[in-house]
Amino acid sequence: MFSAAVLRASAAGIRCLTRTRPVYTAPLVVRCFSHAEVETDEEFDSRWVTYFSKPDLDTWELCKGMNTLIGYDLVPEPKILDSALRACRRLNDLASAIRILEAVKDKSGPHKEIYPYVIQELTPTLQELGISTPEELGIDKV
Amino acid sequence: MAHQAHAYHMVDPSPWPLTGAIAALLLTSGLAIWFHFHSTTLMTLGLILTLLTMYQWWRDIIREGTFQGHHTPPVQKGLRYGMILFITSEVFFFLGFFWAFYHSSLAPTPELGGCWPPTGITTLDPFEVPLLNTAVLLASGVTVTWAHHSLMEGERKQAIQSLALTILLGLYFTALQAMEYYEAPFTIADGVYGSTFFVATGFHGLHVIIGSTFLAVCLLRQIQYHFTSEHHFGFEAAAWYWHFVDVVWLFLYVSIYWWGS
Repeated sequence: MFSAAVLRASAAGIRCLTRTRPVYTAPLVVRCFSHAEVETDEEFDSRWVTYFSKPDLDTWELCKGMNTLIGYDLVPEPKILDSALRACRRLNDLASAIRILEAVKDKSGPHKEIYPYVIQELTPTLQELGISTPEELGIDKV
Repeated sequence: MAHQAHAYHMVDPSPWPLTGAIAALLLTSGLAIWFHFHSTTLMTLGLILTLLTMYQWWRDIIREGTFQGHHTPPVQKGLRYGMILFITSEVFFFLGFFWAFYHSSLAPTPELGGCWPPTGITTLDPFEVPLLNTAVLLASGVTVTWAHHSLMEGERKQAIQSLALTILLGLYFTALQAMEYYEAPFTIADGVYGSTFFVATGFHGLHVIIGSTFLAVCLLRQIQYHFTSEHHFGFEAAAWYWHFVDVVWLFLYVSIYWWGS
Protein backbone atom coordinates (compact mmCIF):
# COMPACT_ATOMS: atom_id res chain seq x y z
CA MET A 1 0.00 0.00 0.00
CA PHE A 2 2.74 2.40 0.87
CA SER A 3 4.98 1.46 -2.01
CA ALA A 4 4.67 4.26 -4.48
CA ALA A 5 5.55 1.60 -7.03
CA VAL A 6 8.72 3.28 -8.08
CA LEU A 7 10.73 0.25 -7.12
CA ARG A 8 10.37 -1.61 -10.35
CA ALA A 9 13.56 -3.19 -11.49
CA SER A 10 14.53 -0.83 -14.32
CA ALA A 11 11.48 -1.07 -16.52
CA ALA A 12 12.18 0.44 -19.87
CA GLY A 13 8.52 0.70 -20.76
CA ILE A 14 8.80 1.97 -24.26
CA ARG A 15 6.08 0.90 -26.55
CA CYS A 16 7.10 0.35 -30.09
CA LEU A 17 5.40 -0.68 -33.23
CA THR A 18 7.28 -3.22 -35.32
CA ARG A 19 6.60 -4.89 -38.57
CA THR A 20 6.54 -8.68 -38.58
CA ARG A 21 7.62 -11.01 -41.29
CA PRO A 22 6.11 -10.34 -44.73
CA VAL A 23 3.88 -13.45 -44.38
CA TYR A 24 1.33 -11.55 -42.28
CA THR A 25 -0.45 -8.54 -43.64
CA ALA A 26 -1.28 -6.80 -40.32
CA PRO A 27 1.50 -5.28 -38.17
CA LEU A 28 1.93 -6.68 -34.63
CA VAL A 29 2.39 -4.50 -31.57
CA VAL A 30 5.48 -5.47 -29.52
CA ARG A 31 5.93 -4.09 -25.99
CA CYS A 32 9.60 -3.41 -25.40
CA PHE A 33 9.81 -3.82 -21.61
CA SER A 34 12.92 -4.90 -19.80
CA HIS A 35 13.21 -8.61 -19.14
CA ALA A 36 14.30 -8.11 -15.53
CA GLU A 37 12.32 -9.76 -12.77
CA VAL A 38 9.68 -7.51 -11.20
CA GLU A 39 9.33 -7.90 -7.44
CA THR A 40 5.88 -7.77 -5.89
CA ASP A 41 5.23 -5.57 -2.85
CA GLU A 42 4.95 -8.68 -0.67
CA GLU A 43 8.29 -10.00 -1.90
CA PHE A 44 9.90 -6.62 -1.24
CA ASP A 45 8.48 -6.49 2.28
CA SER A 46 9.47 -10.03 3.21
CA ARG A 47 12.98 -9.50 1.80
CA TRP A 48 13.50 -6.57 4.11
CA VAL A 49 11.91 -8.27 7.11
CA THR A 50 14.36 -11.13 6.54
CA TYR A 51 17.26 -8.68 6.22
CA PHE A 52 16.68 -7.15 9.63
CA SER A 53 15.85 -10.52 11.22
CA LYS A 54 19.38 -11.86 10.75
CA PRO A 55 20.36 -12.87 14.31
CA ASP A 56 23.98 -11.73 13.99
CA LEU A 57 23.24 -8.52 12.06
CA ASP A 58 25.94 -6.03 13.01
CA THR A 59 25.72 -2.28 13.55
CA TRP A 60 27.12 -1.50 10.12
CA GLU A 61 24.54 -3.73 8.43
CA LEU A 62 21.74 -2.13 10.45
CA CYS A 63 22.84 1.39 9.42
CA LYS A 64 23.36 0.27 5.80
CA GLY A 65 19.97 -1.41 5.65
CA MET A 66 18.15 1.58 7.08
CA ASN A 67 19.96 4.00 4.82
CA THR A 68 19.13 1.93 1.72
CA LEU A 69 15.51 1.41 2.78
CA ILE A 70 14.96 5.11 3.46
CA GLY A 71 16.47 5.89 0.07
CA TYR A 72 13.58 4.20 -1.71
CA ASP A 73 10.53 6.15 -2.85
CA LEU A 74 8.21 4.58 -0.29
CA VAL A 75 7.37 4.48 3.41
CA PRO A 76 8.35 1.06 4.80
CA GLU A 77 5.57 -1.23 6.00
CA PRO A 78 5.16 -1.56 9.78
CA LYS A 79 6.31 -5.17 9.59
CA ILE A 80 9.67 -4.10 8.14
CA LEU A 81 10.02 -1.39 10.78
CA ASP A 82 9.15 -3.92 13.47
CA SER A 83 11.98 -6.16 12.28
CA ALA A 84 14.37 -3.19 12.21
CA LEU A 85 13.37 -2.09 15.72
CA ARG A 86 14.02 -5.59 17.02
CA ALA A 87 17.45 -5.48 15.37
CA CYS A 88 18.09 -2.20 17.23
CA ARG A 89 17.13 -3.95 20.47
CA ARG A 90 19.56 -6.80 19.80
CA LEU A 91 22.30 -4.24 19.14
CA ASN A 92 21.40 -2.08 22.19
CA ASP A 93 20.88 0.90 19.87
CA LEU A 94 18.02 3.00 21.24
CA ALA A 95 19.16 6.05 19.28
CA SER A 96 18.70 4.29 15.95
CA ALA A 97 15.31 2.95 17.04
CA ILE A 98 13.97 6.44 17.70
CA ARG A 99 15.68 7.74 14.56
CA ILE A 100 13.78 5.14 12.53
CA LEU A 101 10.50 6.62 13.76
CA GLU A 102 11.70 10.11 12.80
CA ALA A 103 12.61 8.80 9.36
CA VAL A 104 9.12 7.36 8.86
CA LYS A 105 7.60 10.74 9.61
CA ASP A 106 10.01 12.40 7.20
CA LYS A 107 9.37 9.88 4.43
CA SER A 108 5.62 10.40 4.70
CA GLY A 109 6.12 13.90 3.39
CA PRO A 110 2.80 15.70 2.92
CA HIS A 111 0.77 12.55 3.76
CA LYS A 112 0.27 13.37 7.41
CA GLU A 113 -1.96 10.38 8.09
CA ILE A 114 0.78 7.78 7.53
CA TYR A 115 2.92 8.44 10.60
CA PRO A 116 0.13 8.15 13.22
CA TYR A 117 -1.02 4.95 11.50
CA VAL A 118 2.48 3.43 11.63
CA ILE A 119 2.90 4.41 15.29
CA GLN A 120 -0.49 2.85 16.01
CA GLU A 121 0.56 -0.40 14.32
CA LEU A 122 3.92 -0.43 16.11
CA THR A 123 2.67 0.52 19.59
CA PRO A 124 2.74 -3.07 20.97
CA THR A 125 6.33 -3.46 19.74
CA LEU A 126 7.37 -0.05 21.06
CA GLN A 127 5.96 -0.91 24.46
CA GLU A 128 7.51 -4.37 24.47
CA LEU A 129 10.96 -3.03 23.58
CA GLY A 130 10.69 0.11 25.69
CA ILE A 131 11.10 2.56 22.81
CA SER A 132 9.73 6.08 23.29
CA THR A 133 8.46 8.06 20.34
CA PRO A 134 10.04 11.41 19.49
CA GLU A 135 6.79 13.06 20.56
CA GLU A 136 6.92 11.42 23.99
CA LEU A 137 10.49 12.65 24.41
CA GLY A 138 9.61 16.13 23.20
CA ILE A 139 12.25 16.04 20.49
CA ASP A 140 9.82 16.28 17.60
CA LYS A 141 9.84 20.07 17.89
CA VAL A 142 13.10 21.73 16.84
CA MET B 1 90.19 -2.71 -19.04
CA ALA B 2 87.46 -4.82 -17.39
CA HIS B 3 84.15 -5.36 -19.22
CA GLN B 4 80.93 -6.93 -18.05
CA ALA B 5 79.50 -9.80 -20.11
CA HIS B 6 75.88 -8.65 -19.59
CA ALA B 7 73.71 -5.61 -20.23
CA TYR B 8 72.69 -5.00 -16.64
CA HIS B 9 73.78 -2.15 -14.39
CA MET B 10 75.93 -3.05 -11.39
CA VAL B 11 75.64 0.22 -9.51
CA ASP B 12 78.60 1.72 -7.71
CA PRO B 13 78.49 1.84 -3.90
CA SER B 14 76.31 4.76 -2.82
CA PRO B 15 75.70 6.48 0.52
CA TRP B 16 72.18 7.57 -0.33
CA PRO B 17 70.29 4.45 0.82
CA LEU B 18 71.93 4.89 4.23
CA THR B 19 71.21 8.63 4.42
CA GLY B 20 67.66 7.86 3.31
CA ALA B 21 67.21 5.32 6.07
CA ILE B 22 68.66 7.72 8.65
CA ALA B 23 66.36 10.44 7.30
CA ALA B 24 63.35 8.16 7.75
CA LEU B 25 64.42 7.43 11.32
CA LEU B 26 64.87 11.14 12.11
CA LEU B 27 61.53 11.99 10.50
CA THR B 28 59.57 9.41 12.48
CA SER B 29 61.26 9.90 15.81
CA GLY B 30 61.23 13.65 15.17
CA LEU B 31 57.47 13.46 14.72
CA ALA B 32 57.12 11.71 18.08
CA ILE B 33 59.42 14.27 19.74
CA TRP B 34 57.35 17.08 18.27
CA PHE B 35 54.12 15.58 19.58
CA HIS B 36 55.40 14.99 23.10
CA PHE B 37 58.06 17.65 23.70
CA HIS B 38 57.08 20.44 21.28
CA SER B 39 60.48 20.56 19.56
CA THR B 40 60.68 20.38 15.76
CA THR B 41 64.49 20.19 15.51
CA LEU B 42 64.80 16.46 14.93
CA MET B 43 61.99 16.35 12.43
CA THR B 44 63.36 19.33 10.49
CA LEU B 45 66.73 17.61 10.37
CA GLY B 46 65.02 14.51 9.02
CA LEU B 47 63.21 16.56 6.41
CA ILE B 48 66.41 18.24 5.21
CA LEU B 49 68.21 14.91 5.06
CA THR B 50 65.29 13.41 3.10
CA LEU B 51 65.39 16.20 0.54
CA LEU B 52 69.17 15.96 0.22
CA THR B 53 68.94 12.19 -0.23
CA MET B 54 66.29 12.47 -2.91
CA TYR B 55 68.18 15.19 -4.77
CA GLN B 56 71.49 13.38 -4.78
CA TRP B 57 70.17 9.89 -5.39
CA TRP B 58 68.09 10.88 -8.38
CA ARG B 59 70.89 13.15 -9.65
CA ASP B 60 73.14 10.10 -9.60
CA ILE B 61 70.57 8.04 -11.53
CA ILE B 62 70.43 10.76 -14.18
CA ARG B 63 74.24 10.75 -14.35
CA GLU B 64 74.33 6.95 -14.67
CA GLY B 65 71.60 6.82 -17.32
CA THR B 66 71.86 9.96 -19.41
CA PHE B 67 75.57 10.67 -19.20
CA GLN B 68 77.19 7.26 -18.63
CA GLY B 69 74.83 5.13 -20.76
CA HIS B 70 74.08 2.50 -18.15
CA HIS B 71 70.35 2.41 -18.93
CA THR B 72 70.37 -0.27 -21.60
CA PRO B 73 67.04 -1.80 -22.76
CA PRO B 74 66.93 -4.48 -20.05
CA VAL B 75 67.83 -1.89 -17.41
CA GLN B 76 65.07 0.38 -18.68
CA LYS B 77 62.67 -2.57 -18.58
CA GLY B 78 63.53 -3.02 -14.90
CA LEU B 79 62.90 0.66 -14.26
CA ARG B 80 59.53 0.36 -15.98
CA TYR B 81 58.55 -2.60 -13.80
CA GLY B 82 59.69 -0.63 -10.78
CA MET B 83 57.56 2.40 -11.60
CA ILE B 84 54.53 0.26 -12.35
CA LEU B 85 54.89 -1.62 -9.07
CA PHE B 86 55.30 1.64 -7.18
CA ILE B 87 52.19 3.17 -8.74
CA THR B 88 50.30 -0.05 -7.96
CA SER B 89 51.30 0.26 -4.31
CA GLU B 90 49.99 3.82 -4.35
CA VAL B 91 46.70 2.59 -5.78
CA PHE B 92 46.36 0.30 -2.77
CA PHE B 93 47.24 3.21 -0.50
CA PHE B 94 44.30 5.21 -1.86
CA LEU B 95 42.07 2.14 -1.87
CA GLY B 96 42.28 2.18 1.92
CA PHE B 97 40.96 5.71 2.14
CA PHE B 98 38.16 4.96 -0.28
CA TRP B 99 37.29 1.95 1.87
CA ALA B 100 37.11 4.23 4.91
CA PHE B 101 34.89 6.66 3.00
CA TYR B 102 32.45 4.03 1.78
CA HIS B 103 32.37 2.26 5.13
CA SER B 104 31.30 5.50 6.77
CA SER B 105 28.98 6.84 4.07
CA LEU B 106 27.06 3.70 3.05
CA ALA B 107 26.08 3.01 6.68
CA PRO B 108 25.93 6.39 8.44
CA THR B 109 25.78 5.96 12.22
CA PRO B 110 23.18 7.52 14.54
CA GLU B 111 25.81 10.02 15.72
CA LEU B 112 25.66 11.51 12.21
CA GLY B 113 21.87 11.42 12.15
CA GLY B 114 21.78 8.19 10.17
CA CYS B 115 22.24 10.14 6.96
CA TRP B 116 24.98 11.14 4.53
CA PRO B 117 26.02 13.91 4.31
CA PRO B 118 25.82 13.96 8.11
CA THR B 119 23.51 16.38 9.87
CA GLY B 120 25.04 19.84 10.04
CA ILE B 121 27.52 19.38 7.22
CA THR B 122 27.23 21.79 4.27
CA THR B 123 28.95 20.02 1.42
CA LEU B 124 30.76 21.73 -1.43
CA ASP B 125 28.78 22.11 -4.64
CA PRO B 126 30.28 19.48 -6.96
CA PHE B 127 29.48 21.60 -10.01
CA GLU B 128 31.49 24.60 -8.92
CA VAL B 129 35.26 24.57 -8.20
CA PRO B 130 35.47 20.76 -7.97
CA LEU B 131 34.17 20.50 -11.55
CA LEU B 132 36.70 23.11 -12.68
CA ASN B 133 39.41 21.07 -10.95
CA THR B 134 38.25 18.00 -12.88
CA ALA B 135 38.49 19.91 -16.15
CA VAL B 136 41.94 21.21 -15.22
CA LEU B 137 43.32 17.75 -14.50
CA LEU B 138 41.73 16.19 -17.57
CA ALA B 139 43.22 18.99 -19.68
CA SER B 140 46.61 18.37 -18.09
CA GLY B 141 46.30 14.73 -19.14
CA VAL B 142 45.88 15.92 -22.70
CA THR B 143 48.84 18.31 -22.53
CA VAL B 144 51.14 15.66 -21.03
CA THR B 145 50.19 13.30 -23.88
CA TRP B 146 50.89 16.13 -26.31
CA ALA B 147 54.30 16.54 -24.65
CA HIS B 148 55.00 12.84 -25.05
CA HIS B 149 54.17 12.83 -28.73
CA SER B 150 56.26 15.97 -29.23
CA LEU B 151 59.18 14.23 -27.56
CA MET B 152 58.79 11.13 -29.71
CA GLU B 153 58.60 13.24 -32.86
CA GLY B 154 61.64 15.31 -31.97
CA GLU B 155 59.62 18.51 -31.62
CA ARG B 156 61.74 20.18 -28.97
CA LYS B 157 59.91 23.50 -28.66
CA GLN B 158 56.46 21.90 -28.55
CA ALA B 159 57.63 19.39 -25.97
CA ILE B 160 58.83 22.22 -23.75
CA GLN B 161 55.63 24.22 -24.24
CA SER B 162 53.21 21.36 -23.59
CA LEU B 163 55.19 20.11 -20.59
CA ALA B 164 55.26 23.63 -19.15
CA LEU B 165 51.50 23.93 -19.74
CA THR B 166 50.95 20.62 -17.95
CA ILE B 167 52.86 21.88 -14.93
CA LEU B 168 50.95 25.18 -14.96
CA LEU B 169 47.66 23.27 -14.96
CA GLY B 170 48.94 21.19 -12.05
CA LEU B 171 49.80 24.35 -10.14
CA TYR B 172 46.41 25.84 -11.00
CA PHE B 173 44.72 22.74 -9.53
CA THR B 174 46.81 23.05 -6.38
CA ALA B 175 45.98 26.75 -6.02
CA LEU B 176 42.25 26.15 -6.55
CA GLN B 177 42.24 23.28 -4.08
CA ALA B 178 44.13 25.34 -1.50
CA MET B 179 41.51 28.06 -1.83
CA GLU B 180 38.73 25.48 -1.46
CA TYR B 181 40.38 24.14 1.71
CA TYR B 182 40.57 27.65 3.13
CA GLU B 183 36.97 28.52 2.25
CA ALA B 184 35.36 25.18 3.12
CA PRO B 185 32.51 25.37 5.66
CA PHE B 186 33.80 22.24 7.43
CA THR B 187 37.18 21.13 8.80
CA ILE B 188 39.05 17.86 9.28
CA ALA B 189 37.73 17.84 12.86
CA ASP B 190 34.10 17.72 11.71
CA GLY B 191 33.37 14.09 12.39
CA VAL B 192 33.98 11.26 10.01
CA TYR B 193 32.90 13.45 7.07
CA GLY B 194 35.73 15.87 7.71
CA SER B 195 38.19 13.07 8.34
CA THR B 196 37.45 11.12 5.17
CA PHE B 197 37.19 14.26 3.04
CA PHE B 198 40.43 15.92 4.07
CA VAL B 199 42.57 12.79 4.43
CA ALA B 200 41.57 11.44 1.00
CA THR B 201 41.70 14.77 -0.86
CA GLY B 202 44.70 15.88 1.18
CA PHE B 203 46.82 12.89 0.22
CA HIS B 204 45.66 13.36 -3.35
CA GLY B 205 46.78 17.01 -3.25
CA LEU B 206 50.16 15.91 -1.93
CA HIS B 207 50.45 13.54 -4.88
CA VAL B 208 49.57 16.37 -7.28
CA ILE B 209 52.43 18.39 -5.79
CA ILE B 210 54.79 15.41 -6.07
CA GLY B 211 53.67 14.78 -9.66
CA SER B 212 54.06 18.43 -10.61
CA THR B 213 57.57 18.41 -9.15
CA PHE B 214 58.44 15.26 -11.09
CA LEU B 215 57.17 16.90 -14.30
CA ALA B 216 59.12 20.08 -13.50
CA VAL B 217 62.32 18.07 -13.20
CA CYS B 218 61.51 16.53 -16.59
CA LEU B 219 61.01 20.02 -18.03
CA LEU B 220 64.43 21.11 -16.79
CA ARG B 221 65.98 17.93 -18.20
CA GLN B 222 64.24 18.40 -21.56
CA ILE B 223 65.56 21.97 -21.74
CA GLN B 224 69.04 20.61 -21.05
CA TYR B 225 68.78 18.04 -23.87
CA HIS B 226 68.69 14.94 -21.64
CA PHE B 227 65.87 13.24 -23.58
CA THR B 228 66.03 11.68 -27.04
CA SER B 229 63.08 10.81 -29.22
CA GLU B 230 63.67 7.12 -28.48
CA HIS B 231 64.81 7.22 -24.85
CA HIS B 232 63.02 9.36 -22.27
CA PHE B 233 61.89 6.98 -19.58
CA GLY B 234 62.08 9.63 -16.83
CA PHE B 235 59.43 11.56 -18.67
CA GLU B 236 57.31 8.46 -19.26
CA ALA B 237 57.45 7.60 -15.56
CA ALA B 238 56.36 11.16 -14.70
CA ALA B 239 53.53 10.95 -17.23
CA TRP B 240 52.32 7.60 -15.83
CA TYR B 241 52.36 9.06 -12.34
CA TRP B 242 50.47 12.11 -13.55
CA HIS B 243 47.75 9.98 -15.19
CA PHE B 244 47.46 7.98 -11.96
CA VAL B 245 46.95 11.25 -10.01
CA ASP B 246 44.28 12.26 -12.52
CA VAL B 247 42.44 8.94 -12.22
CA VAL B 248 42.50 9.11 -8.41
CA TRP B 249 40.94 12.57 -8.66
CA LEU B 250 38.17 11.26 -10.93
CA PHE B 251 37.32 8.60 -8.32
CA LEU B 252 37.47 11.20 -5.54
CA TYR B 253 35.24 13.55 -7.49
CA VAL B 254 32.60 10.95 -8.31
CA SER B 255 32.63 9.31 -4.85
CA ILE B 256 33.17 12.09 -2.33
CA TYR B 257 32.21 15.29 -4.10
CA TRP B 258 29.32 14.09 -6.23
CA TRP B 259 27.76 10.91 -4.76
CA GLY B 260 28.71 11.98 -1.25
CA SER B 261 26.85 15.26 -1.47
